[in-house]
Amino acid sequence: MQKNIRKYFPVFALPTLIAFVVAFLYPFAMGIYLSFTKFTTVENAKFVGFDNYIQAFSDKDFLNALWFTTKFTVVSVLTINIFAFFLAMLLTKAIKGTNLFRSIFFMPNLIGGIVLGYIWNLLINGVLNKYGVDITFAAKYGFWGLVILMNWQMIGYMMIIYIAGLQNIPTDLNEAASIDGANNFQILRHITIPMVMPSITICMFLTITNSFKLFDQNLALTKGAPGKQTAMVALDIYNNFYGRIGWQGIGQAKAVVFFIIVAVIAFVQLWGTRRKEVEH
Amino acid sequence: MTARKKIVNSFIFLFLSALAIAFLVPIFVVFLNSFKTKFSIVGSPFELPTQETFVGLENYIYGIKTAGLLKAFGLSLFITVSSVVVIVVCCSMTAWYVTRVKTKGTRILYTLFIFSMIVPFQMVMYTMTYTVFQLHLNNPVGIILVYLGFGSGLSVFMLSGFIKSVPIEVEEAAMIDGCSPLQSFFLVVFPILKPTAITVAILNTMWIWNDFLLPYLVLGADKTMPVAIQLTMQGAYGSINWGGFMAMLVIAIIPIVVFYITCQKHIIKGVVAGAVKG
Amino acid sequence: MATITFKNVVKSYDGVNNVIPGLDLEIKDREFIILVGPSGCGKSTILRMIAGLEEVTSGDLFIADKRVNDVAPKDRDIAMVFQSYALYPHMTVYKNMAFGLSLRKMPKEDIDRKVTQVAKILDIEKYLKRKPKALSGGQRQRVALGRAMVREPSVFLLDEPLSNLDAKLRTEMRSQITQLHNDLQATFIYVTHDQTEAMTMADRIVVLKDGIVNQIDTPQNLYNHPCNMFVAGFIGSPQMNFINAKIIAADGKLYASFSDYKIPLLERMCDPLKEYIDKDVVIGIRPENFHSEKFYFKEDESNKIELFTNIVEMMGSELNLYGEIDGNKIVAKVPSNPNIKLNSNVSLAINTEKIHIFDKDTQNVICD
Repeated sequence: MQKNIRKYFPVFALPTLIAFVVAFLYPFAMGIYLSFTKFTTVENAKFVGFDNYIQAFSDKDFLNALWFTTKFTVVSVLTINIFAFFLAMLLTKAIKGTNLFRSIFFMPNLIGGIVLGYIWNLLINGVLNKYGVDITFAAKYGFWGLVILMNWQMIGYMMIIYIAGLQNIPTDLNEAASIDGANNFQILRHITIPMVMPSITICMFLTITNSFKLFDQNLALTKGAPGKQTAMVALDIYNNFYGRIGWQGIGQAKAVVFFIIVAVIAFVQLWGTRRKEVEH
Repeated sequence: MTARKKIVNSFIFLFLSALAIAFLVPIFVVFLNSFKTKFSIVGSPFELPTQETFVGLENYIYGIKTAGLLKAFGLSLFITVSSVVVIVVCCSMTAWYVTRVKTKGTRILYTLFIFSMIVPFQMVMYTMTYTVFQLHLNNPVGIILVYLGFGSGLSVFMLSGFIKSVPIEVEEAAMIDGCSPLQSFFLVVFPILKPTAITVAILNTMWIWNDFLLPYLVLGADKTMPVAIQLTMQGAYGSINWGGFMAMLVIAIIPIVVFYITCQKHIIKGVVAGAVKG
Repeated sequence: MATITFKNVVKSYDGVNNVIPGLDLEIKDREFIILVGPSGCGKSTILRMIAGLEEVTSGDLFIADKRVNDVAPKDRDIAMVFQSYALYPHMTVYKNMAFGLSLRKMPKEDIDRKVTQVAKILDIEKYLKRKPKALSGGQRQRVALGRAMVREPSVFLLDEPLSNLDAKLRTEMRSQITQLHNDLQATFIYVTHDQTEAMTMADRIVVLKDGIVNQIDTPQNLYNHPCNMFVAGFIGSPQMNFINAKIIAADGKLYASFSDYKIPLLERMCDPLKEYIDKDVVIGIRPENFHSEKFYFKEDESNKIELFTNIVEMMGSELNLYGEIDGNKIVAKVPSNPNIKLNSNVSLAINTEKIHIFDKDTQNVICD
């Protein structure tokens, strides 16, 4: 049977493979190479060793972007997950209208980053206007603006995953615990949270990577202003490529660093899940 | 239910209702402002339209006539629909191939597909754009191939995860019944794959419809909705027609809301499945 | 004429280990052949090679005198029923059955006629519009059979088709399949690990172990004259008892000696056992060849043994007695009798006509 299908490689696998090579594989390899060169167009690339990486890490904008991104990620991951978990707890109680609430909370997730960014740009500026400032006045406005936006977008999504996790807990477990004399808080601490641990890992991973890779929302909401104080890593790399002549190589080096950070997060997550699977 | 529990539950209900309204306010505000004059938007977005500020559909007419709203909408629709169709068909074929044919090559390919899922776009942004221009794929048809390449990682991963759970005997039965591999795939395997194919289609639809950077870098003069919106704002602040801009945002949101209301169940299921597998 | 012939067929998945080390087998036209053996013995592999789902590594496979090593499954004039039924989940019962025919471009009216006809035989007309999900296990099983039948192949391949059914349905389907074989006039090749199915349905049984054919014979012969200890142990339930014994000669007769017993052997065994005198052998006695009734005891009580009962299983009309003699586990099947108690000695007579004697090293039968 295998042999039979194998002959059909050009039909089944080749189109995807070509697209994959053109859009991803070849550009990825070229990107690694270019991060070691100085170039303005790809044709004039000159090998410079680790120069780009050294310059990247001595670039104040990049370090600031890394710090800003990390701060943003920590704050939004915590707020999103706490709110989402809390909402999921409420929505798994027997309350009327659960489905409607669920649908409403989830909806913002479907709206694209650029549109989201401008919706909140309008709203936040509308509020700040009353105090005579706007979102680009200080970095803290942009920071909290992004956090609010991210919460609005992601809470519903994470809530859905938590609800799925909570519904998987057998009810007799809670009953057994309350017969054993556990109070509500103890049940949450010793039964509910350990049992939804798989959902927590998924949500943590999703919120971390999504926050870390944020671009569209960042571009639409603040564009990095004031100055470059609210530019996150993805935006900083973008600016190097398309806004700063001669910085393409450095931008590419930053992109490689960015990729490595995201890959490490992914592997830690994978390793964490694997380890847990062994334990069960 | 005890009386105390009843009270607690009605408090929860009130709280959730308030929160739900708060969640809807941003969309409602945009909708409201799309009917106001362009001068009464910035600065006072929360004011309801009054007799002086209400302009009816003028903003929409402006958007369609001057800002190329319909064109952008049509282009977005074309690219999204055709890319999703191509991704679903090609990736399920590929997923079937790499799952059923066990060679070193297919194993490497599968690993590369998974690997591509964790690579952030910025890593290949510049070089991909360069390659696309070199190959003259920088047009609304060429971008379909680019989306296929980018979408293949997650799509192949999810589809082959499902194919692994399909008993191979069904395909063997088809073979004995007289199917060629192509017939086996399209008459037997693909119909069985349908639930996962729907999930994959939904995830890709949401991604491509909302995607900004890729079409912005690749397409140039042809603008999709997110690109058109961003480009409107990239001009100087003073010269922006905020009314037309609000209309654009509404037009960008409406199809998503319609899409969401019509196949909500599939979307929520699909998004959760995508999250758990990815 | 659908004879199937294997000529020195070898099957290997990895090129190193042979699952089937070299198979020679001839299946006659319209025969009902059952392949049995423990799991992993290669019985399914043989079936799948006939179907064309597995390639033949080396050797020749003929169906109806045509070498089919490189012939696609659809061109082999075969149909297969899978253990998991492998129904197409997205098609109705009708479409499941019609699928193979429509692929062969048969006119719609002919398909319709055939499907209705087969559905009638199998009593599944009511379900033609349902999808497999809405059927019970037994109904799915019949649809799977029907899908094979409409094709009217000259060879039916059945891969443990009854193993997912409950006991009652299984018995029912057994007779139904036998009936089908009689009606269809096709060659049936049937794989199972259930010896009851093999014994009740087959014309001939092929007993396999580690990819090697141990014995091919009718159910009757297989039961009465197993060619080695493996076959003897595999066919029959509870299993045949094996007792380590020694052949001794005394006053012109041969005896099998174990523990304190000396069981006289039949005269016809003298010749084959000549070379085994004073040597160790294994004697095989089926549980039903131990008897508790007076009638079976010889006057000199030479065929009498005592069994201390560890377990007594009440089977209704019979009792299964479990005990041990000289470290050999013994099961005896005797008529129900209130005098037989647990943890007590029971006197049993061995039917000396039904003793099998095996070589201790080769495990092959010496005589029976």
